[in-house]
Order: sequence, then structure tokens, then C-alpha cells
Amino acid sequence: MKVTFPHMGSLYIAIKVLLDTLNVEYVVPPFSINSLEAGIMNSPEFACLPFKLTLGNFISAIEQGADTVLFGGGCGQCRFGYYSDLHEEILRSMGYNARFICVNSSNMTPREVIQKLKPLAEGRKSRVILKSVLHAVRTILALDRLNGLACHIRCREAARGSTDKVMKEFHSSIERIKGFKAVAELVRSTRNKLRSIELNKVCSPLKIAIVGEIYTCTDPYINQEIERRLGNMGVDVDNKQTISRWVVDHGIKKLFPFEIKNKAHEAGKKYINTDDIGGHGLQTIGNCILSAKAKYDGAIQIYPFTCMPEIIAQNTFGEIQKDYGIPVLTLIIDEMTGEAGYMTRVEAFVDMLERKRKLNPLKKQHMAY
Amino acid sequence: MPTIGLPKALFYYQHSVLWENFFQNLGCRVVVSSDTNKQILDSGVTLCSSETCLPVKVFHGHVHSLMNRADYIFVPRYTSVRKDEFTCPKFCALPEVTLINLKKQVKLLTIDINANSSQKNMCISLREMARELKLNFEFAVKEFKDAFDKHANHADGIAGRLGSYSASGEREPSIAVLGHPYMIFDEYINMKLIKKLRSRKLAVYFPSSLNYSQIRENAFPYQGRVFWEAGLDNLGSAFTFARYKNIRGIIYLTPFACGVDSFVTELIERRIRHISSMPFIKLTIDEHSGEAGFDTRVEAFLDMVGRT
Repeated sequence: MKVTFPHMGSLYIAIKVLLDTLNVEYVVPPFSINSLEAGIMNSPEFACLPFKLTLGNFISAIEQGADTVLFGGGCGQCRFGYYSDLHEEILRSMGYNARFICVNSSNMTPREVIQKLKPLAEGRKSRVILKSVLHAVRTILALDRLNGLACHIRCREAARGSTDKVMKEFHSSIERIKGFKAVAELVRSTRNKLRSIELNKVCSPLKIAIVGEIYTCTDPYINQEIERRLGNMGVDVDNKQTISRWVVDHGIKKLFPFEIKNKAHEAGKKYINTDDIGGHGLQTIGNCILSAKAKYDGAIQIYPFTCMPEIIAQNTFGEIQKDYGIPVLTLIIDEMTGEAGYMTRVEAFVDMLERKRKLNPLKKQHMAY
Repeated sequence: MPTIGLPKALFYYQHSVLWENFFQNLGCRVVVSSDTNKQILDSGVTLCSSETCLPVKVFHGHVHSLMNRADYIFVPRYTSVRKDEFTCPKFCALPEVTLINLKKQVKLLTIDINANSSQKNMCISLREMARELKLNFEFAVKEFKDAFDKHANHADGIAGRLGSYSASGEREPSIAVLGHPYMIFDEYINMKLIKKLRSRKLAVYFPSSLNYSQIRENAFPYQGRVFWEAGLDNLGSAFTFARYKNIRGIIYLTPFACGVDSFVTELIERRIRHISSMPFIKLTIDEHSGEAGFDTRVEAFLDMVGRT
């Protein structure tokens, strides 16, 4: 059995740790233009971009010998819940035969996750599966923390490019190593390197929140490395939709016998008074409100073209901008998105925020620390 | 008593009987907006963000046209109409989005409809509505139940009426038209497709021509599973119609960039050829669609169907 899984930002590192601990053979889908194009060509025209990209991942991984797909699932209004059925249907009609193992994301008790992963583990004990899941969770938490630190340092560094150099080194060496211990060690050493970067003590960078659909927010390939680019423009980026926040919400918080509510989700109900509109729609609205209350300079919403919940969220932004005075830029991404046009909009937005800050010097400024 | 405006869009095509009766029983005067026309479409397009889909834009146009004619406009929140069947996110947030896009210049009445959770939310929203209209809550509940019974006995509104009318002849050559009810029954949005088909002596079938259990049995691969309501209707109808001998082809009308339809049509296209050789065409419509281009495609499809 050879397992494959879709790409989503740094998720592949955590899944690698999971499968290494379980000692299962796997194929990491290649990052290539051909794989993307295969996905786009075989998907419905108006499917959202994450669907097309994950299909591309599967096609190229299956061509490299994978026969089992590890994927998530769910139910409700958002299309993500129905991805795996359509993926299976499309792959089958293309002549590929792959088995899907879907970990349902909406109610994940540890026991259910272990049950789902049993066929992967081929007779290994539940204890080993639990250990591998814990390792994967710890990896993703550590990776997102490292990325957050990089965002914090990048906009304050004294010599431009020092953070990028450290992170580039990190990304090229992480592909070569295996196992939880090695990954944890690399993360630790990279963290120390980041902390030793010399900072510019007097700068007070603009602070921008990234909100929106989780795949486009977390995958640097799709959002054209928006965190890095904004950081190099001297902007402190706070990505509100990270995989670790998702894991905490859907996995860790569910372990408690009482309900712990997601703050952003609850805040979003101020504008859309219902329990759920699918996907991360309410969280996007809530995160905008919370960012405004935390005196952020602006927010950038990123979502794939035709994403249903985010269109609703976008409709409320006019009202939020008026009520809370936070400027919001919406970036819609699809396979046709060109780099130049995209960056022009981001640069113009940052220029506008800088100017706004100059005109309102009374607004509380973020200090360097 | 106040005047209630019912926009003739989205939910109206399936639930007109229910809501018209409900408000009349409560003693209100009911005004229904006129059929969709260019003015309604244009005002809807200017009110919404450009990413919003065509039917929701049209809905906004209808609400706008009712603004000066009614005291309240009724915009329900449909989250789920049957157990394990969901509507699209745009329905779940319809009241708030309408209010924001119309710059809060209208007074809305709303009811939460969610068959997938307890009836608590529905009761709360009904109680609020009763308070707004200065009516007794128990009275409102009773009238709602009456209206609901009437709705259940009466094939679902316009969709049901047209559906049962069309499925009369069993042998005459027919075409099945699939899509959301607000796409296929709105004469302006569908560019008079139904009339055009009938003028060519073709009978027309809709998802509402079939009965519920038949549709759900054939809704591959979602029999008995959670999915969108409209998705189940169309999936099940497509695979049912594929086996009908007198149906020559299936036309699927979809608004530009519809999330639900993008998955449903793909599932139909990939699977229908294993069941039969039924010709299938997907026609996409948005506010820029020209009637000439649309007609050409329909004619080409009918010519092809006639030859097979």
C-alpha cells in the first residue's frame, strides 16, 4: 500500500511525520505545473481552486504509484464536505483506481480518528496510531508557531532578507529529513536562528490580519506567498486562518466535556445571525471585527473564486468597515490570477494604510515589541 | 393590518402557497412583486457585490421593487428544509445580506427554517415576528400550521403546478429541464426557454414532475446521505429521466459560478453515459447573457437531439 495526501501549506510535513511514525509507505505529491494543470483540466469549471489543486495532487501521486488517498471530509453547506465523492468519481472515470480514506472533520473524537486510520496502519496497535497522531498534531502546532515568529521578525529585521534566508534554508532541509525527532530538532534550531536576527528597534510596522478561506490563507503557493511579501514591505502579518487553529478548534477543544466556542465564530454572528453559513464564513466576519477591536491597521480577505461562504462574508464588509473603521481588501484567487495585478492591489492597499496612519497620528501605534 | 411584500424570487417558486396563505390568514395584505424584468435585474445587479450569483441579485431587485409598496418585506432564512438536506450558504444568510445591501432602508420579517436542528430557533423567530406584527404567538403558530397543511396538499407552488401540467402525455417527445426552481421557472432568467420548447411541440419535464421518493432513490451517490437539497433534486431527476424513453435530452440551466451546480453537473456528466445515451447540455446564464447566443445553443442542441 502506498498512501498519498493533498498539499495544503505546511500540512505535508505533519502528514509525513504521521506516516513515518506509522511506518507506512507514501508518495508526497510533486509541486509541479503539470500536476496543477492536470487538476484544472479534469475539474468542473466552477469548482473552487482547492478542489482543482487537490485533484491535481492525486493524479500525479497516483501516476507515481500511490493507491490510497488520505483525505478529509465533512458535511453541510460548504463544498469541501463533498470533495472526496467527486474526486473519486473523476479519478474513476479517468481510469485510476484509488481507495479513499476520509477522516471526517466535523466530529473528530480520538477514537473515531484511530478507527479511520486503522486500515492504514495494517494491524499496528491503537497506541502506535495515537502516538503518530499526537506527533503530527505537535508538528503542525510547532510549524505554525515558527511561521508566526518569522512573520513577526521579518517586518522588523535590520537587514532585509535575513528572515527569508533562514526560512528558505528551513524549507529546503525539511524535505530531506524524516521522523518527528528530526523535524522537531530542525524547528528548534531554526527558531533560534530567527531569534538571533538583528532587529530595527525603532520601527512600528503596520499590522494586517489575513482572513478568509483556510486553503488560500495557508498555502503560500496559492496566495503567492502573501505573508512573505507583505513582511518584506514592512508589514506585520497575522494569519488568522492557520491549520493549527483549525486543529485546536476541531480536535483539541472537542476533547473537553464542555463546549469551548470559537471567539471569531461568535463575533461573526453579530452580522449574520445564524449558527453556521458553511466553511469559515462566520469566522472571516468575526476575525475582521476582532482585528478592528485589537487596533489592526487593516485586513485582507483571500478566497478562491466561487467560494460560497466567503461571498456572504464579503457582502458584510461594507457595514463592518463603516462600523469599526477597519479597511478590508478582498483578493479572489483562481487559476488565472496573475502575479502583477495581484501584487499591485496589495501594494496599493499597504500604501493607503500607511497614508491613513500618517493622517491619524493619534491612533495607538504598535511598538516594536 | 400591515402590508407584507413577497419577492417573486428564490423560495417563492416552491413555497408561494405556504407564505401567501400564512400572511393572509394572519390578516395581512400580501403584495407579490411583478415578474422579473430588466429594471428589477438592473437594480439587483447594482445593489449586490459582483461575486454574488444571478438569482440572489434578482432577489435583491425584487425586494427593491417592493420597498415603497409594502410595510414589511418577508425574507425567510432557509437552512435546511428536510433532515440531512441543506440549502446553499446564500440562503442561510439571506435576511442579513439583503438588509445590508439595501442599506437598511427596509423593514424585514424573517423566519428561521432548519429541519436539521430543534424547532427552537423557528419558534423564537416566529415569536419575534408575531411581536413585530402585534399578534398573539399561539395564533401565529396555529395559522402557520394551517398554511403548512394547505401547502402540503397543494403541489409545491408554481414549481409543482408547472411540473404536473407538463408531465401529462407519456409518449410525446419531451425535453427535461433541470436546475434550481428559481432558474427554470423564472421566465426572464431562463430566456423563455420553456415557451420556446413548447412552441417546437416538445413537452417539458422538471424535477417537480417526479415524486420525492423516486428522486431520492436515484440520487447517486447521495442516496440517504447528507447533501444539498437542490443537488439531490437534480441528481435524482437526471438519473431518473435518463431512463425515460420519450425524453430526448436534458437541459441543465445553471447561473454563472453556482457552487452547488458545479458539483452536481459534474457528477451527472460523468455518470449519465454509463446509464444511457441521453444527450445532456449545461447552459450557463448570468446578467450578461444575450438571448441570441442562448437560442443558438438551444437550437443546436435540439437539432442534434432530433437526429439521434
